[in-house]
Amino acid sequence: MDPKVLKHYLLVHDNQDGDSEKATKILTEMRSTFGPNDCQLLCINFSQDGQTRHKDTPWSTFRSDALATEHLGRFLKLDDLNEIKNLMQELSSKHIIPYMEQKIRLLNQQVSSTRKGFRNQFKNLWWRKGKEDALDTTNGPVYTFSSIESQIRVLGDYAFMLRDYELAVSSYRLISTDYKLDKAWKRYAGVQEMIGLTYFMLDQSRKEAEYCMENAFNTYLKLGSAVQQNATRCGLWWIEMLKTRNQIKEAATVYFRICGEDLLHSAVMLEQASFCYLLSKPPMLHKYGFHLVLSGDHYKKCDQIKHAIRTYRNAVSVYRGTTWNLIKDRVHFHIGQWYASLGMYDVAVTHMLEILASSHQSKTSQELFLRDFLHIVQKTGKTFEVLKLQLPVINISSLKVIFEDHRTYASPAAASIKEGVWRSLEEDMIPSLFAKSNWLDVQSKLIPRKYKESNICVAGEAIIVDIEFKNPLQIPISILNVSLICELSANPEELNSEANSSNVEPQNDEYKTSTSTGDINSSLVLSEVDFSLEGGETILVQLTVTPRVEGILTIVGVKWKLSSSVVGLHNFESNSVNKRIAKGRRKPKHSPSADLKFIVIKSLPRLQGFIPSLPEKTYAGDLRHLVLELNNQSKFPVKNLKMKISNPRFLNAGNQSYLNVEFSACLEKKLNVEQSVGHANAKKMLQNVFHFPEDISVQEETSLSWPLWFHAAVPGNISLYITVYYEMENVSSIMKFRTLRMHYNLQVLPSLDVSFELSPCPSRLEEFLLRMDVVNKTSSECFQIHQLSSVGQQWDVSLLQPVDSILPSQSLFAGQVLSCFFMLKYHRKSSTSEDSNPLFLQSDVRLGPPGNSEALFDVCSSPLADFHDYERLYQGMSCQGNVDFVFITQLWRGNIDSGAPHRPLLFSHHVCHCSLSSFSPISWFVDGPRTIQHNFSASPCGVNLKMTINNSSDAASSVHVKTFDPPSSNSQSIDATASQSGLPLENQVGWFSIPAVNDTKVITTDALAKRITKSVSLESAPQFIWTGSSSTKLKLQPRATAEVPLQICVFAPGIYDLSNYALNWNLAPIEESQGEANKSSGECQGYPYYLTVVQST
Amino acid sequence: MTTTACFIIVSRNDIPIYEAEVGSAAKREDAAQLPQFILQAALDIVQDLAWTTSAMFLKAIDKFNDLVVSVYVTADRTRFMLLLDSRSDDGIKSFFQEVHELYIKSLLNPLYLPGSRITS
Repeated sequence: MDPKVLKHYLLVHDNQDGDSEKATKILTEMRSTFGPNDCQLLCINFSQDGQTRHKDTPWSTFRSDALATEHLGRFLKLDDLNEIKNLMQELSSKHIIPYMEQKIRLLNQQVSSTRKGFRNQFKNLWWRKGKEDALDTTNGPVYTFSSIESQIRVLGDYAFMLRDYELAVSSYRLISTDYKLDKAWKRYAGVQEMIGLTYFMLDQSRKEAEYCMENAFNTYLKLGSAVQQNATRCGLWWIEMLKTRNQIKEAATVYFRICGEDLLHSAVMLEQASFCYLLSKPPMLHKYGFHLVLSGDHYKKCDQIKHAIRTYRNAVSVYRGTTWNLIKDRVHFHIGQWYASLGMYDVAVTHMLEILASSHQSKTSQELFLRDFLHIVQKTGKTFEVLKLQLPVINISSLKVIFEDHRTYASPAAASIKEGVWRSLEEDMIPSLFAKSNWLDVQSKLIPRKYKESNICVAGEAIIVDIEFKNPLQIPISILNVSLICELSANPEELNSEANSSNVEPQNDEYKTSTSTGDINSSLVLSEVDFSLEGGETILVQLTVTPRVEGILTIVGVKWKLSSSVVGLHNFESNSVNKRIAKGRRKPKHSPSADLKFIVIKSLPRLQGFIPSLPEKTYAGDLRHLVLELNNQSKFPVKNLKMKISNPRFLNAGNQSYLNVEFSACLEKKLNVEQSVGHANAKKMLQNVFHFPEDISVQEETSLSWPLWFHAAVPGNISLYITVYYEMENVSSIMKFRTLRMHYNLQVLPSLDVSFELSPCPSRLEEFLLRMDVVNKTSSECFQIHQLSSVGQQWDVSLLQPVDSILPSQSLFAGQVLSCFFMLKYHRKSSTSEDSNPLFLQSDVRLGPPGNSEALFDVCSSPLADFHDYERLYQGMSCQGNVDFVFITQLWRGNIDSGAPHRPLLFSHHVCHCSLSSFSPISWFVDGPRTIQHNFSASPCGVNLKMTINNSSDAASSVHVKTFDPPSSNSQSIDATASQSGLPLENQVGWFSIPAVNDTKVITTDALAKRITKSVSLESAPQFIWTGSSSTKLKLQPRATAEVPLQICVFAPGIYDLSNYALNWNLAPIEESQGEANKSSGECQGYPYYLTVVQST
Repeated sequence: MTTTACFIIVSRNDIPIYEAEVGSAAKREDAAQLPQFILQAALDIVQDLAWTTSAMFLKAIDKFNDLVVSVYVTADRTRFMLLLDSRSDDGIKSFFQEVHELYIKSLLNPLYLPGSRITS
């Protein structure tokens, strides 16, 4: 330090302490000691009472943090203040500044004499070089006050203070090189700092200033922690410089660089840096958040938790709404933790909630989050009710409300079927009277319009709400006490009259906390479900609410308990009453509030129905006897039952008399078959609605059983819908009837594949060869064949060969194929009988073991016939001349669904419409001798033949038989072929099911015929001629047979093909019966008929 | 010194659509999300820089202590951000180009909705 600093002595006298005389005495003493010019007296506090009030503290402009409450300067009068001011001005203007100026002059002189000028510089260089060797410490040489470097520095400082920046810069620069050369880094940095500041004050070259500051800063940093404070100061100067120049971003980086090892220091600096980022234009929010988090971490490390929370909370506002979940979670987690450590659990919980459902986190962190969360919640010591608890996640779109108004469901599965399916099923069952003015209209008079759109449910019947819970985490969580939140209020109308009724829960305008609703309300019964969710699992939970009294029920939401202390609430609707929930963004827009509002009406009878033994899995063809059971558990009887089954091919209502009959007994053939019953029944079935007899009503707490027939018609997955309609006797005004809907799914596996093929027997009229192919398509089952019956027009089925020869065991093993041939014969006589229904006559072939005395099954009576009817309906349009077959097998193992083990399962396979129509309606048959011995030497041989023509169609037809001799009628034959190929082309539509094939066939046979005739004509001259009439015309009545005599004359022995004749037939149209088909006509070439004529000796 | 690398694809809406972190051994609890923080913070700089140059590869644009952020901006302003503690521009550049190719392939997937999370 310069010992010759300017000295000035000031005596401050406080008038409160004593007289001014004492002060003057001391002043004279001082003057005598220090010299008269340098001493002054300042008297203050002239105020007597100390009550002087200043408008503002005199120092307020200089000390911003002075508190007004301290009443600084109470004793200062205005005069005192003025005197102080004067004194200071005098001091600085008369003493300090002159002194400094003088000093500058002196120093400048000194410096310029030693350092300025070429000579001095040279000397200096040389001198420094010499000095270099001597002192080489890390801190550089020690400069005494009197050393020239210090002098220059002082000169610079004085100049800086007096705002002679040019001089300051020049002197600073001068010594900075010196310091650098001397490796006095600390001093060098200091000087650089000053140069930077001076440049800044000069507001000249910015770059230079910044460079200097950076230089200084870096130098400080290099020096390590010892000059940390200097570095900080330098950095702050620098930052201020940058800030003034609006280089805020750069300022932020400098803040960041200032951060040292001191945590608190760094924390403050980082926070400042973050603010710089925020203030920079454009604001760099990401950096802002990042630095806030960094700063918060530092604060946390030095236990400044409140500061840490403050910075983190600022950061939250940055990260809210971004999808950088890891970051968000971390921020919330830390805030939560820190709040918890401060004991502010409520706030902590809100932050912890944010991260609970973080599915993207690793398992460990999820566990950590959950554990900490529960820990914090426990510390709060109360149960939390969290409105938007996201653990587990509720899938709102899965929300499904099942309720029963007039529609009741037998099973949950039935309820999940689309309403349209049921509606179309019930369409013609619900009386039109109700359909037009249904209960909705009726009730609109009773119920305020406001509730018109809401649903109706019946008191005492549960409303089921299905909702999905999903665990977003990878760790299992357990959920307790899941239940619905419901409100039940009385009808507004009734409110007036019975407002004080104990049952009525008053519905206040404000939403009450959930505990009050539901639990304590005896008029509601809520189900509670506990379950645990594995990681990532989704569970569909079924919750029920059962209202006990009439009123209006609203399902508000669902609540659950997470590990015994946290109650999660979720409101299904954004309730307009509750503004707090209204902001819930997860509410789906599509669910109208009406869905969750119910009008509870008083309890009504409700039927329960089920089919106990309906198999879930069966083989095709399975025929069973089932029982439908209907239960009425209420006190009121129901009546007027009707039933409709969606798929009558599979399920049929039976006659009540069958209820207790042994299953197969009612199928077996009885002697006194009541065909009329079955038939009438069948007709009813076709309308698909089964009316229970009028006198049947289900009384209170009884059950009704009704037989059903089941037949698995085709393989596949079948859905059966059954609706039972019933009416209540003491009707409430709102609902007069209800329907019970039942739904069953069953899987029908393919069992036997039965196909039939019919081919006309060439040698007999009205006889057909029937081939039955049966393939056992099951994998393991073994069927025992039982019977084949033909249904339809009057056909007789008979075996061509005994079954034993085809299938000795009478059973078909898995995968086995069976082909059987039968003879099918037209049963002529019954066509005249009118009273018996032609459709329901049958003929059976027993295929079972011969020793089996079991009766054949009657395919014409109720169940089989009914099913057969449907089969006919489904398998195609009915056409004349068709045969239907029923093939019945038995399966002795009753193990498909472990039904009755000892009773054979019966399988019936219906194949309908085995068509005969591909054959022409006219069939004929030429009969005559096959081999003739004749002595040609005597005379040509005349052979009489007989052609039997049968008209199998329902129309009268005219038949024209033409014979033509091969040689003479060649042209005619060509004519015939032409006409023949032409005619079918025109008419084949009506008569040939496979036109193309038929066409070619005709042509080829025709060509063949032509070739034959030609070859015959070429090789061997006419060896026979048709004698007798060459053309015969006759009329055939429907289903009539006629005989035409034919005669040929043979001239030589040989084998003759008598196929050169043609049959033209023409169906006469029956009046308006079958339009187009009747007009058809056709021409057929003759069948080959070989006649062997042998020369007799 | 453990080499850690963090790679994030950020969609144009500043949503991370792909995150991968490799070679981070024994992370400290308090620095668990540091790479994410750094990369997110670097978005500001990317935003400034992306318009100043026509090159897709922006080299090292930001650094935090010894961690360097390299960024590659695709034409639709999707950003590939790589945080590395070692600097080798050429390697990073070729890595980015490879990633870009893969990214385009995933964009071509008709089932991929641009801007949604890439899952493999």
